[in-house]
Amino acid sequence: HQVLRVVPSSHEELQRLQELQGLEHLKLDFWLAPRGLGSPVDIRVPFPSLQPVKAHLEASGVSYSIMIEDVQELLDEEQREMIRSSRRLPLSTSTFNYEAYHTLDEIYAFMDMLVAENPNLVSKLEIGRSTENRPLYVLKFSTGGSNRPAVWIDTGIHSREWVTQASGVWFAKKIVEDHANNEGVASILDTMDIFLEIVTNPDGFAYTHSTNRMWRKTRSKHSGSICVGVDPNRNWDAGFGGSGASGNSCTETYHGPYPNSEPEVKSIVDFVKAHGNIKAFVSIHSYSQLLLYPYGYTTTPVPDQQELHELSAKAVAALSSLYGTKYKYGSIITTIYKASGGTIDWTYNQGIKYSFTFELRDTGRYGFLLPAKQIVPTAEETWLALKVIMEHARDNMY
Amino acid sequence: IPDFGHKYYLQFSTEDYRTGENAGSCLATVLYPRKKSPPVVSIKCSHTKDQNEIQEEDNTLYQRIRQQSKPITGSNIPDSYGNIEPALEPAWALAVAGSSSIMWEKSTEDLGYFLAQVKSVKQWMRKDDFIEFDYTVLLHEMPTQEMISCHMRLTWLPGHPLREKHFCAPQNHGLEEGSGLGSGSAAGLSEERGANF
Repeated sequence: HQVLRVVPSSHEELQRLQELQGLEHLKLDFWLAPRGLGSPVDIRVPFPSLQPVKAHLEASGVSYSIMIEDVQELLDEEQREMIRSSRRLPLSTSTFNYEAYHTLDEIYAFMDMLVAENPNLVSKLEIGRSTENRPLYVLKFSTGGSNRPAVWIDTGIHSREWVTQASGVWFAKKIVEDHANNEGVASILDTMDIFLEIVTNPDGFAYTHSTNRMWRKTRSKHSGSICVGVDPNRNWDAGFGGSGASGNSCTETYHGPYPNSEPEVKSIVDFVKAHGNIKAFVSIHSYSQLLLYPYGYTTTPVPDQQELHELSAKAVAALSSLYGTKYKYGSIITTIYKASGGTIDWTYNQGIKYSFTFELRDTGRYGFLLPAKQIVPTAEETWLALKVIMEHARDNMY
Repeated sequence: IPDFGHKYYLQFSTEDYRTGENAGSCLATVLYPRKKSPPVVSIKCSHTKDQNEIQEEDNTLYQRIRQQSKPITGSNIPDSYGNIEPALEPAWALAVAGSSSIMWEKSTEDLGYFLAQVKSVKQWMRKDDFIEFDYTVLLHEMPTQEMISCHMRLTWLPGHPLREKHFCAPQNHGLEEGSGLGSGSAAGLSEERGANF
């Protein structure tokens, strides 16, 4: 269907238009009926009548313009927009739905709202750009000081692990709430800063929404690689390229052409080195319900093995205390499998003693497709474990 | 066991997949010979449910499926958000059972699996009393982290063991995303095609 506009400039033209109104079989729909000279007349013309109507107008020398080339197209676009806006961005972090999974845009909007609502506590840092040029944002929670000892938490490094980004959003809000109520991590914030990267792999995350829910890696294309993407948890410079990663670009554990080839990884490496005062580093994954410390690339135990093992026991006990969720813990290589080029192996070797990886819920029943109603319980219990780790770091400064 | 392989002694408890209720415990030994062949398993389990209870539940499930007026079809179970439509639960339950057979056959001392998602299900109506489903399932392989796509044809009648035939897509390390150097959507397309071969 098209919508035609005629502006009658003579009585004959006006008459022609009025005639059209009488021709019922044409099924014309006058959005603007003929009123007088100079007043536009808008007519929605169904497809079968287009030819005769245009012929009638042209034969009478009545000029017209096509206002809308295709009404259906407009309707379809409106429909799409309505669906989009029914996921309307909330107006504040109080109306944000923490019990649902969100898109990248929604999470980035959340971050901006959180900063806007708490400018004295939260700031947003851009630490780099992804392969597809998406900004890599880190939220900084700080009550002041200058380059205070800090805790780093990242979620979503593997994009299909959706409960982790969702938990990261919840953590961000929780930190702000605790601070406002002077409880929980408020005391940690007296002496330490917290850095939180919620969407560590935004290209992968966007891809899980648009194309493949099970995408894990980044979306980089390296010359010489047939396939897309590098496993960002095999791309760190710790035992890089050793067994526990794959050299085949078409596999899920492809380590990449060289360490830190991925901007998502390199930006964190640069940040950590430049900061120089990070005391605890936690990288969050799903699923399996595990708390892990280094190493993954070698069976050699870390020098701080005993302390990390005992701390893990405490953290896991705190986690389980909430809903009874059972976690196992230990070094990566003894608890899960050999993995080289992993995040926390690198951070530990940089001197960040309290380097941990979580594998959140569940143990395989839903796996990556964890029902949204488990987001908040998962975030709540994990937060208890994170607090144990942060408090220990604060009380055992090194 | 020197010059032979590895023997594992296992003690584990089981849960009802739907309800999470305790379903009994098992003691097992699994012997993996050095040469790659299926392991030798001996297993003994205690069940919390008796035969009658199990039979009753099987019949309820069976009736639920038979009562549908149209053949059951569906895709992405659970969906991206972890939801399973109630109407598709029975089909999903049978997929879980059938997939366990595939996973049992494929797993080795170094490779394990989880059912990641039922990509599609289509019911085939039969003249006899058997229920028949065609599935595409995604298996999450550990520790490789790969998603393996398998086509599974399953038949069942209460009182009879579940029967399944399957074919899992070979790991195309290089073929699936051959056009991946092109636009992002082309890579996406070939991946989807690969998953549904």
